[in-house]
Amino acid sequence: MIKLKNVSKYFYRGEPREVQALKEINLEIEEGEFSVISGPSGCGKTTLLNAIGVLDTISEGTIELNGREIAHLSAEEKTHIRLTQMGFVFQAYNLVPVLSVEENIGFIMRMQGYTKEEIAHRVKEVASMLQIEDKLDALPNLLSGGQQQRVAVARAVASKPKIILADEPTANLDSKNSMKLMDMMKELNEKEGVTILFASHDEYVVENSRRVILLEDGELVS
Amino acid sequence: MFRLALKNTLYYRGRSITTFLLTFISAYFFIVYVAFTDGSHSSMLKNALEVYTGSLQIYQKEYRDEGGYDYLIEDTEKVFELLNHTEGLKAYSSRLETYGIASSKERSAAIMLTGVDFAKEAQLSELKKAFTEGVYDSKGACLYLGSDLAKKLQVKIGNEVSFVGSAIDYSFVAELFKACGIFKTGMYDFDTQSAFMNREYFDQIFYSQNSSSYIAAMANKMQENDQIAGQITQALPKDLKVYTWEELMKPMVELMEIDSIFGYISMGLFFLVIFFVIMIYGFINVSARIKEFGILKSIGLSDRNIDALLLYEIVILTLAALAVATPLGAYTAYYFEAHPIVIEGMSDMYKEYGVVSDEVPTLFVPFTVAWNTALVFVLNLLSVLYPMFYVRSYTPTEAMRHV
Amino acid sequence: MFKTILEVAYKNAFLRKSRAILLILMIGLSMGIMVGLEGLYNGMYVHMIDKSMRSDSGEIALYAKQYRLENDIKYRIENSEIKVERLAKLSGVDFVLRRLQVEGLAQTATKSNPAKVIGIDLKDEEKFGKFSDFLKSGELNFGKNGIFVGSELAKNLKIKIGSKVIFTTQDSNLEIASVALRVKAIIQTSNIGLDERGIYLPRERAAALMAVDPNSATQIAIRSDSEEIALLQEQIKGLFPNLEVYTFMELYPQLKQMQSMMDIFNAITFTIVMIVVFIGILGVMYVSILDRIREFGILLSIGYAYRYIRIQIISEAFFLGFAGYLLGSLIGFLLLSYMKIYGLDLSMFAEGMESFGMSSTLYATIESTYFISTFFAIVIASVLSVIPPLRKIKKLNPVEVIRDAG
Repeated sequence: MIKLKNVSKYFYRGEPREVQALKEINLEIEEGEFSVISGPSGCGKTTLLNAIGVLDTISEGTIELNGREIAHLSAEEKTHIRLTQMGFVFQAYNLVPVLSVEENIGFIMRMQGYTKEEIAHRVKEVASMLQIEDKLDALPNLLSGGQQQRVAVARAVASKPKIILADEPTANLDSKNSMKLMDMMKELNEKEGVTILFASHDEYVVENSRRVILLEDGELVS
Repeated sequence: MFRLALKNTLYYRGRSITTFLLTFISAYFFIVYVAFTDGSHSSMLKNALEVYTGSLQIYQKEYRDEGGYDYLIEDTEKVFELLNHTEGLKAYSSRLETYGIASSKERSAAIMLTGVDFAKEAQLSELKKAFTEGVYDSKGACLYLGSDLAKKLQVKIGNEVSFVGSAIDYSFVAELFKACGIFKTGMYDFDTQSAFMNREYFDQIFYSQNSSSYIAAMANKMQENDQIAGQITQALPKDLKVYTWEELMKPMVELMEIDSIFGYISMGLFFLVIFFVIMIYGFINVSARIKEFGILKSIGLSDRNIDALLLYEIVILTLAALAVATPLGAYTAYYFEAHPIVIEGMSDMYKEYGVVSDEVPTLFVPFTVAWNTALVFVLNLLSVLYPMFYVRSYTPTEAMRHV
Repeated sequence: MFKTILEVAYKNAFLRKSRAILLILMIGLSMGIMVGLEGLYNGMYVHMIDKSMRSDSGEIALYAKQYRLENDIKYRIENSEIKVERLAKLSGVDFVLRRLQVEGLAQTATKSNPAKVIGIDLKDEEKFGKFSDFLKSGELNFGKNGIFVGSELAKNLKIKIGSKVIFTTQDSNLEIASVALRVKAIIQTSNIGLDERGIYLPRERAAALMAVDPNSATQIAIRSDSEEIALLQEQIKGLFPNLEVYTFMELYPQLKQMQSMMDIFNAITFTIVMIVVFIGILGVMYVSILDRIREFGILLSIGYAYRYIRIQIISEAFFLGFAGYLLGSLIGFLLLSYMKIYGLDLSMFAEGMESFGMSSTLYATIESTYFISTFFAIVIASVLSVIPPLRKIKKLNPVEVIRDAG
């Protein structure tokens, strides 16, 4: 599904403070995977995840999504790919503060042009999967951290993307909520068949992922 | 995007209230200020036109440059015939002017004596309306004097006034008249220098039958004046020319243009400051939401979507403010047009500048209100350009890392 | 300690460059334009007053009783020479001259216009008000039968240098008197009354025309640089109780009212601009402080006194305001300097402006008061604008702040 070939990423290239965050990464992510990119702090997990999600540019190499090279597309095309084929969950500040839970979940679907009825049906479906169906009218600031993250996951999965990229989704959660979130995401992966790729150093996430992609100093170790 | 923009405006109250208030204030005061400026100008011009000048005048081509009796209109009746068939004219009248010295027992003064048809002048100008004492349309050797001229000569109704001047054949004219009527227009120069007499007797003394210094006319509707002037020009003999009031009152028109320009510059200063403050508050609001925009960009919103969001926000706030300011401003302009502010003594103080009345009216013109409103709207739109550019300058990851 | 606080304040003030630049631009541009407008309006007014004083009454003018009401030559000042000598000796009096004036009719072969002959002493007029500055065309030499004519009168009569003009009036014996004159110069004083009607003759010739004693005058005008014009006026009134003594402002009340209106307008403009500047600085400072609320919480918790934070915040606001003030002063000064030297050319409106006694080129004045008053206003606006955010910091519970922001 996703193929990375000789992907390298430099920050401040050509300057004295140049840093090579990714070193010739060759990686394949298959459809339906439930994997984690892990490693010590500063190893390049987020950078790699951002590169796969075409949130950031790469300095060398190529990235293919279902056979199409996506790393060198225009900003508009990359945005379109993120909208239609990917879902994102971040560590914090995930939700639009002025929209209700229901509106946040249905946001991407609305951007994609789904009808009101389709959105309403899918939102209910996903919300009940993530056990937040009783919070649909609430604003994000009235939810706990764990609930907010579940809403973020719901939004990411509502539009049925090909892959969900989650960057440290449990970093701001206590262990109980972390476990809950992981269980729900596993369930989503199994039921919906959506590919989920984490970037995390959380032991619980690592232990519960089917595949661990280890990074050290920007290089793939395993 | 629109729904999100609407929710954002309600959520970020500080910015919304500031933008709303500043937009309201700038729009309201702009409408009222322009209404007052246009109103006072229009009032001054209207007074001057309606008092005596008329909306257009017909001259022999060289008369305004050379003057004198050599360039009179020699066949007034022919021009009258043409004007009879011209649509849109309320009234017209022939005037023949001459200068000379008027003397009472005690005093003398230089005056402009004009032979007029009092009946036609009653429709054309405010000579009849300005009547204060005596008789308006006297016959024979009678003068209808400006009030300040009467004061200068120290004459009352019935007193004798001699006049020394020249007829149109340049022969000497010395005549004794009676002060039969007095008028007061409020236009200082006019009331100090002018005297009128009926045309029949005037022609006898000055041999000016069928001649005119010029023919004054007034259009029914001022908006049609230029069109009427064009019509008349086409039909007139080649040696005659039509002047509209804009040409006749060019100095006053120019002065008003300058007054308006300076007024707009001053208003421009207000707008500049308000524009900046609205921009700053918009910018601060946007920079506080950079992380949010980063998330939105990450999940698939394009720069154009974000631009639309910001534009919708400013449009909602602006339209909300204008929805209140515009009717209020328009009503204020409308009200003071019907009930002008009165500044006691103003006309006396500024009579040299042609101010005739103590009233300061506004001028309510829906089109003016509309463009005033539109300008404020456009300025507000422009204020969001920099914040839009600022958000665009961030990549999704930079935005999410923003502190 | 204070040096450190000021250094930190300076760095923080310009930390967010975009915000700081926007704010500085706002203050700078608005202040620059406001100062420019103020200087231009004041310049207009000052020049109008200056020209009116120089061409007419000076700071103080004397008339015979009834003259101003009746405007009749029979109400004239006799033995004016002695009076002029006495006045010239008074402290605070720079120069005194006399004029003789009568109204009448000016005529050419084809045109006529009311006019007034003003009998002058050219040398005196030059010392009094630099009469040569008013010369528009021709030369200031009366010659045998020469006159100088006001610019608007020349336009109305369609005359130029060398043209012949007949002036007719009623003399002091109530006889009609006429004289043929030749135009030697055209004068523009920017005083409507003089430009529209003025015909200048040597005083002796005017006296002959009016059949009055050459020692008569209808006006004695005084130039004074005294700060106490009212006192000088009272002194002169005491000296000549049979004459009417007026200050310039009493003779030109419309100019006084114009000044009042301009002062009010400037004050309103100033206030509104400063209020909006205040709102702008308030917004920027408020957000800047909110951004750093955790930092202040930590500082308070480690024992950094609130008063140091207050000094820092006020200093930050002051630095921003002051930077804006410097930019505004520069823009204002450049604008005013240009307009002071080259003027604002409104010659496309020349006809309108000159017909109402204004010059078609407007010159600005530069006064230190523009910059001083704006400085204080900006400082006050800057300091006041941080009161709400400072209140917020004062109420801070450091522990809550650190916990919430983390």
